[in-house]
Amino acid sequence: MITLECANLRGFLDCASLAVSKGSVCAVLTETEFEKNLLLRIFTGLTRLDSGKIFIFGQEVSSFSYTELNNARKRIGIVPNNGGLVSNLKVWENIMLPLSYHSSSHHDMDEKMMTILGKIGYDDSVSALPGPLPAYKKRLAGLARAMLMEPDMMIYDSVFDGLSSDIRGKALETITAFQQEKEGRASLFLDTDESALNYIKANNIYTLKKGKFYERN
Amino acid sequence: MKIKRIIESILDTILYLSELFNLIISAFKNLPSLRIGPVRTVFFRQIYFAGIETLGKMVIIGLLIGIVIISQITSLVGVGSGALIGKILVWVVIRELGPLFAAIVVIARSVTAISAELGSMNAQGEIAGIEMLGIDPQRYLIMPRIIALTLSAVMLTFYFELAAILGGITVTSVFWGIPFEQHTTGILTSLTISELSASLVKSLLFGLVISAVSCSQGLKVSGSITRIPQATTKATMQSLFFVFIFDGIITLIFFI
Repeated sequence: MITLECANLRGFLDCASLAVSKGSVCAVLTETEFEKNLLLRIFTGLTRLDSGKIFIFGQEVSSFSYTELNNARKRIGIVPNNGGLVSNLKVWENIMLPLSYHSSSHHDMDEKMMTILGKIGYDDSVSALPGPLPAYKKRLAGLARAMLMEPDMMIYDSVFDGLSSDIRGKALETITAFQQEKEGRASLFLDTDESALNYIKANNIYTLKKGKFYERN
Repeated sequence: MKIKRIIESILDTILYLSELFNLIISAFKNLPSLRIGPVRTVFFRQIYFAGIETLGKMVIIGLLIGIVIISQITSLVGVGSGALIGKILVWVVIRELGPLFAAIVVIARSVTAISAELGSMNAQGEIAGIEMLGIDPQRYLIMPRIIALTLSAVMLTFYFELAAILGGITVTSVFWGIPFEQHTTGILTSLTISELSASLVKSLLFGLVISAVSCSQGLKVSGSITRIPQATTKATMQSLFFVFIFDGIITLIFFI
């Protein structure tokens, strides 16, 4: 689904290679937040490599037109650590934004949104602006937004960071069920915290060190 | 050394102007995106904020300006010159003050708001977040703002001019006893296509430039939110500067 081939980015990646295959669950541990955020930007085509190749859904990113890149982004559900919500949109508008932007038939999705929010333990108002919400609630809203798009691949950015054990359990259960819902759906967990591996049942675990990915046993 | 600096600053200005031009062109290219629900929502919100919410104040300003102008003209040319008063009113209000005042009100109200909003979104990574969702910021954030602000500038100009003329002739009719028809004859004979098109072209161009400048300055904010006040100040000053420059150019083209 996402493949890096001898990717180079000055001061960050040094001929790094990584493959997240169809249906797999991968985890990548980075040493710093900065590295993690940069990886997220590379995987979504926001930051271009100096050299080397990155394939998204089998196609090289540099060969994408802007529209093609956006079409590929639509197929990736991203759950940023800060939720990635737009501050001048209400929580429900944020959750529905990609769906209502990309598809015209989203009228029956309100119910689905509320179901997902209930499953992951979001108990706040959806008609409020996201500003005053704690970071983890914004992230839960971001999780619901990504799931509503029914993507082929999910990227979770420190998704369990700061969650209570109760909400973490609910989120984990929903994420696991969501992974199995669609055949071939892949998940990539990015984190800086080693302890996150206690919750993630990953097929492959990589560590990014000195510009290269090292697979753990 | 000085020449090098002058050349650099000229090149910077040309680059900046081409950047503004590209933003405007891209807004027109992306017009079909208004079919998309969330884009339309942003567009209507901007129309409401920049156009409709400002309407009341704009009409009051127009009325007051109309009264001031007509009082001055009547004092100058005398009560018997209704046709001349009407002509001067059209020249001053339609040709100059309408588009200019509407632009100044839009600058005061919307330029700061748009540049601060986009600046804050950029500094907090929200625009990058929107891109990650496969949403083109040019379509979702920039186009609706440019088009809505331009339409608002045109709309506010029209209402300002209407209020100024109606307010002016009502006051002179009531206080100086000049017959209403005398004014309307003067106004109608001086109101040519040239006056109306100059007013329309000015308000359109002012709206486009103001919105492009505010979007451009907002998008330039990166890294820290402390840069937002600098961006809003720059956007306001540049918008005013461009408005006066274009006002001069269009007046020269139309009336000389």
